[in-house]
Amino acid sequence: MNKCPEHIVQYMHEYLDGDLEKEREKELKAHLQNCKECYQQFHELEKAIALVQSTSHISAPNDFTQRVMNSLPKEKKTISWNR
Amino acid sequence: MEELIRKRIKQIKKGDQDAFAEIVELFKDKIYQLVYRMIGNSHEAEDIAQEAFIRAYININSFDVNRKFSTWLYRIATNLTIDRIRKKKPDYYLDAEVAGTEGLTMYSQVAADIALPEEEVETMELQGEIQRQILKLPDKYRSVIVLKYIDELSLIEISEILEIPVGTVKTRIHRGREALRQQLRHV
Repeated sequence: MNKCPEHIVQYMHEYLDGDLEKEREKELKAHLQNCKECYQQFHELEKAIALVQSTSHISAPNDFTQRVMNSLPKEKKTISWNR
Repeated sequence: MEELIRKRIKQIKKGDQDAFAEIVELFKDKIYQLVYRMIGNSHEAEDIAQEAFIRAYININSFDVNRKFSTWLYRIATNLTIDRIRKKKPDYYLDAEVAGTEGLTMYSQVAADIALPEEEVETMELQGEIQRQILKLPDKYRSVIVLKYIDELSLIEISEILEIPVGTVKTRIHRGREALRQQLRHV
């Protein structure tokens, strides 16, 4: 690992954020092809992201909206009834 | 969509509560999901998410209709959640563990009720494990990771929600991602 330029890890993150310049992207890719450790680290970063994204579907409980509406301050409700 | 939201907000400002119900319907899943992923407990998540909507309603007159409503709502929800996390801090690890176990229990019940095939049960256990690892992140990394990868917001939106510079958002995402890499590499 010590032999790798320090900016490679920074490039990995910039790449994952979608803002690595083309030239640097080439440098990153070339490095990953030749360095097993960095390739492994990059792969693990992508895996961590994919795992977090795979959890993304949950919905609020069914009565959520009703409960919120029931908890709103009463005086405004009166205004709404009088409309 | 933004136009419809703007119209409803104007109605709410005039005292029309029904218009607010529509806003809650539109955003409830996103807000609940954000809070749940950050806090890891469904009861607390519901409590905080409801509180966020109630505060939005009460403070609706301070919202500028020319701005993006979702950013403002996310900010209220994120701040409430971070406050709650910080208050819980002393038993942080205990909470994380309880939250994880609860998730698993919930999943096991689902599994028992409708007899899921084994691989689906495995998926649910994996989900519980990922949730536990997200909860282990320090709150400032956890919020950016959840906003980016679960609510799929842009770095600019995240910076507006958290009221921190984009550069800081990036640094936190990098560190959060690095922590998750180490925590999840053997999953």
